Amino acid sequence: MIRFDSVSFHYGGERGTGEGVDNIDLTIKDGEAVVLCGASGCGKTTLTRLLNGLAPHFYEGELEGSVWINDLCVSSAELSETSRYVGSVFQNPKSQFFNIDTTGELVFGCENQGLSREKIKERLVRTEKDMKLTNLMGRNIFELSGGEKQQIACGSVYTADPVVFVLDEPSSNLDRKAINRLHDMLKKIKADGKTIIFSEHRLYYLMDIADRFVYLDDGMIADIFSPAELSGMSDDELAGKGLRCTDITRLKKSSGKAVSANSTVPAVETVDLSCTKGGEQILDIERLRLPANGIIAVIGDNGSGKSTLTEALCGVSAADGNIALNGVYLNEKERAAKSFMVMQDVNRQLFSESVIEEVVLNSSADRTKAENILDKLGLKNVMKRHPSSLSGGQKQRVAIASALCAGKEIIFYDEPTSGLDRGGMERFGELLGDMSEDMTSVIITHDPELILKCCTHVLHIENGRVLGFYPLDDEGVQRVKWYFLSDSEENTSKRRKKQGTIGRILGYAGDKKKYVFCAMALMIAGAFCSAVPYLGIYSLLGKLFGGENITLAGSVSEIGIVLISGILYALTYTSGLQLSHRAAYHTLENIRISLQEKLDMQPIGNIHDMGIGAVKKLFNEDVESVEVMLAHVIPEGASNIFVGLVILLIYIGVDWQMALFSVVILLFGFGASRQMYDVGMDRMGTYFASSKRLNNSIIEYVAGMEAVRIFNRSAESGERFEGAVYNYRDFGLAWYKVCWPWMSLYGSLFANITLYSMPLGALLVILGHITLSRYILALCLSFALGPLLVHALALIGTLPRVNYKIQSLEKALDTHPLKCGSDTFTGKDHTIRFDNVRFAYRGDEVLKGVSFTAKEGEMTALVGESGSGKSTIARLIAHYYDTNTGTISIGGQNIDSMPLGCLGNEVSYVSQELFLFNKSIMDNIRVGRPGASDDEVKAAAKKAGCDDFINELENGYDTVAGASGNKLSGGQKQRIAFARVLLKDAPIVVLDEATAFIDPDNEKKMNDAIEEITRNKTVIVIAHKMSSIAKADKIIVMDNGRIAAQGTHDILYRECSEYRKLWNADKISSCWSLKGSEKNASYGA
Amino acid sequence: MELTFYGEDNKGILKFDPRTKFLLFIASGLMSLSSYSDSGAAVYTVVLLAVYALCGKPLSALKSALIFGAVMYLRAVLQNSQGAPPMIVLLVTALTTVFMFGFPSVLSIVILVRTTRISHFLSAFQAMHLPIRMIVPFAVFFRFLPTVAEEWNGVRKAMAFRGMTLSPAEVIRHPLRTVEYVLIPMLFSSMAVMEELAAASMARGMDADTKRSSYEEVRLKAADYVLIVLVFGMTVFAFIMGYSVKGGMNV
Repeated sequence: MIRFDSVSFHYGGERGTGEGVDNIDLTIKDGEAVVLCGASGCGKTTLTRLLNGLAPHFYEGELEGSVWINDLCVSSAELSETSRYVGSVFQNPKSQFFNIDTTGELVFGCENQGLSREKIKERLVRTEKDMKLTNLMGRNIFELSGGEKQQIACGSVYTADPVVFVLDEPSSNLDRKAINRLHDMLKKIKADGKTIIFSEHRLYYLMDIADRFVYLDDGMIADIFSPAELSGMSDDELAGKGLRCTDITRLKKSSGKAVSANSTVPAVETVDLSCTKGGEQILDIERLRLPANGIIAVIGDNGSGKSTLTEALCGVSAADGNIALNGVYLNEKERAAKSFMVMQDVNRQLFSESVIEEVVLNSSADRTKAENILDKLGLKNVMKRHPSSLSGGQKQRVAIASALCAGKEIIFYDEPTSGLDRGGMERFGELLGDMSEDMTSVIITHDPELILKCCTHVLHIENGRVLGFYPLDDEGVQRVKWYFLSDSEENTSKRRKKQGTIGRILGYAGDKKKYVFCAMALMIAGAFCSAVPYLGIYSLLGKLFGGENITLAGSVSEIGIVLISGILYALTYTSGLQLSHRAAYHTLENIRISLQEKLDMQPIGNIHDMGIGAVKKLFNEDVESVEVMLAHVIPEGASNIFVGLVILLIYIGVDWQMALFSVVILLFGFGASRQMYDVGMDRMGTYFASSKRLNNSIIEYVAGMEAVRIFNRSAESGERFEGAVYNYRDFGLAWYKVCWPWMSLYGSLFANITLYSMPLGALLVILGHITLSRYILALCLSFALGPLLVHALALIGTLPRVNYKIQSLEKALDTHPLKCGSDTFTGKDHTIRFDNVRFAYRGDEVLKGVSFTAKEGEMTALVGESGSGKSTIARLIAHYYDTNTGTISIGGQNIDSMPLGCLGNEVSYVSQELFLFNKSIMDNIRVGRPGASDDEVKAAAKKAGCDDFINELENGYDTVAGASGNKLSGGQKQRIAFARVLLKDAPIVVLDEATAFIDPDNEKKMNDAIEEITRNKTVIVIAHKMSSIAKADKIIVMDNGRIAAQGTHDILYRECSEYRKLWNADKISSCWSLKGSEKNASYGA
Repeated sequence: MELTFYGEDNKGILKFDPRTKFLLFIASGLMSLSSYSDSGAAVYTVVLLAVYALCGKPLSALKSALIFGAVMYLRAVLQNSQGAPPMIVLLVTALTTVFMFGFPSVLSIVILVRTTRISHFLSAFQAMHLPIRMIVPFAVFFRFLPTVAEEWNGVRKAMAFRGMTLSPAEVIRHPLRTVEYVLIPMLFSSMAVMEELAAASMARGMDADTKRSSYEEVRLKAADYVLIVLVFGMTVFAFIMGYSVKGGMNV
């Protein structure tokens, strides 16, 4: 039990921050979770400090009364004593850890308590399991995100196992994901029966953890609320108390200015922005325009590239691509001069001794103007003070003031409201609103309240790409809220691999690695052999200069050596190549198989998103690049460099002066090649982006040919194609342009070492320092050296490209696989149940909490306008995607728990897109049940009404369907799909627009077929033709991702206006389509 | 950010106690001072390189070996070369001699730093019964290296917005002002981190008077003893040999 016994505390020492508290009387029971809330400076942090003993033992001051934890008087006990009972987590993730590695940090508290090693180990294991920290163990804390650091801080306290947890604004620097994780950890801690005390501004994530909210005002307890009381308060009541929202879903956009995006010149415009750091592509943005005078919120998870993007835009980080500010393309320095960034740690940007000096520093503004600006920002009364003596919010405004004085046009903010209370947040929002007349603001933020308070647009970044850029209208508000409410999938970030290109590729080779090494050894031998002939020539020349007569007989041995080494070279080199190729192609096989396995586990949607072109490129070209690496670059490059070095050493032995000179030349050459590698690597991102675009536009151009011709849009489509081609050409040329000078430089330096060292050697011979024969040997060696190095460097030159491709290979399928268990189907029946299912596609919520039941043996129809989410429901039943939240179950079993194959046995899904394999019709129908006999296939075809038209085909059932089945009409293909379903005979049938291809000719046959396949089944049917579903057992009316109504036709027709509208619209259109049926049929074909 | 100044040992075949590595450094120093023979230094270096490789850095060890070998080769070539200007021969011989005898000391420091985790280091200090008042400054120093790097990065960016450049011309023209612009924000920002860090450590029971335990196990194992005996054996041998040579010269 915790007891505050009429406690008053006022800071007195030099570390005095905050206002102190008065007359606190508070008792907290064991296992209770209490939140201290209130505006900034209300004393909530002081209370936490009183509890963990930092006040008065660290933050000195005057204390009256006492704080008790059970029978320990915290106010008088030593801090080390208190720390056994109280564990503390602080606001700032970056300054609360003492160690460098996570494991050391987790055990820090235990070590301080002097626990034995075994005991600590036991606790560490428990923490790792309970707090789900496995991914974070044994890592460098400096490479973790703020959220992960905070997880470690919580885990560290958990390991020390105190009875009371004290958390001082733990969420203020965290993003959405991290808050969710923190929430889960806290829930677990509470479930363990620990007492938790929070001091916190953000309340929404604590609503289901806290038992009591203690509201402080001006250092005194003003009120105590239960969670129910607090969540019952209206927004105005909360605002009156200076409290933040308790529920994001209830947030509303404050009635600020209307979106004014009509300005013609965008504040920021970028084309082909890409940024590569350490060989890894962080940004890849094709085109982005931010409207002038807007207040743009940049959202996205940690590590998605938000900071890199803003830093690139304002010119302090290097990036490729063109960036214009206010319509003018500028370089980095010019951008830095025109823009400003208010950093999260604003201490870093205050340079002067007083506020006024700070503001006029390096700016053209005079003092009066500066004072006016300070006045506007409410800083006039602190004008003479030292910036570091101000509060956080004031420092921030000083930084803004300095930007205004310098006449900046765009200000970027990095999480400006972290740790601000409601008042501070609202004041900041208003300030932005006031400034937006002549200023564009771009805010990186994790604060939904700020976004809804003042922003006009939202830019959503994910994985370095723009996921969405939208104005904050009603729909925008929904999207933003959805983002902040959706759960994060993963618990922690992945470990970053610190591996070079070569190590990575050798990793792919697996057990074929030894082949690569053998090949390398053979090639080294080969390279030696290639150098030996020069020695033979030397020996011959030596004889010549020695005055001997050279006869054929006398030089047999030399000629023999030259010949033999030539043969040996050929042998070793080719067998080395053979080995390395064997390794390479085996590796390719492994990679392709593992890629295919990964692809199989991807949600269909992800594969669609990638596009056929990208998948093809992945399997073909990108994988192929590994071959270049394994077969050529690694063995040949290594052997060439190695032998080159050996020759160089011999060269030194022969004559060190000439060698030294050659080395200098070589160093220049290496410098040039290094330079080429660097510039080549930097530009690689843009180059490949344009190649990807070219690829996609070729595919689009060909795929869209039909539509283009029909609608006579060839000029337009041609233009886009042309654009992509030109773009690729320009980037290709630009890349070669920066690389070529270096390439030719090192090429000429390496190839002509002899040319440079010859005169020097000649001089040395003339001076008598070396003999003529040594001179000639040296020249021979330098002849041998050049080609080896040129060859090696040519191979090294391909490294950046190969590295890039391998990265894209690794990244491509690095998304979450579909959640699939390994259970068999154990559901008790085939009732389908959706339980509050939410699903978003590319950051856009398509299903917003859908719950319904489709009973076994009944027909359930989904109706609604297009885009209302009907087809999504069908696809989710077939498990094309994972849901974001909520569950889908069949007979009580979650479909996530079984593999796709098992689910496939239960569900037949007929989609709108029908695909026929390029096999006989017989085999195409047999896809439904691979083991079926020919007779069974024919019987199914008869029932589906296909028999007639199949027999009319030239080869009957053995007719090959042709690629994508283009020999058949839409209706015929549809019926073949029905035959498959009949053959498969799964208990659940999902028909997505199965009647789309109905025309008067085949209407009866189609309806009969549908009748046939839905008999005694659980059926979900999606239809535009309302008449066909009128007799369904249950009709569900979808409206914009929600269920508007459900019931039978009669009830819905009476009670649901939406349904009536759909029904009537269909009536009219069906009359119309009868008249034009001829035309319709031809389009359907 | 790449943090190359922190060591790691997770790939090591043998994990030596940090204290052993420390002794290795002392032995290397003694060796360099007492040995006068090329072959002695070479053998000793080879042993060190083997230790480096065994501690999980075979590639770095190979690289060091190649460099060492190349320099030794150069030295041998030069000493046997005829017709070269004697000044240059003398100069290069002197340089390579310094390199040859300095190499073991440098290598043993590299081994110590690059293959020892910081927490292991601190535990070793603790096991050596150093007072906590001496260990904490070390720990804080290591802890602050990356923080300073982060701060520096931030300040550099902040300066760019204020039109303050760090170009060499600017630094030469206004050295004091540049230092001021860099130092003031870094100091204030580091001070804030420092204070919070102190508070956090205190609240978690870091206290100079309590006896701390250590999760990291530091214990001298068989391999440690073997290595200590080996290197000190060699050093003592070199010491005696060195004296006998010197003695011979004196006579």
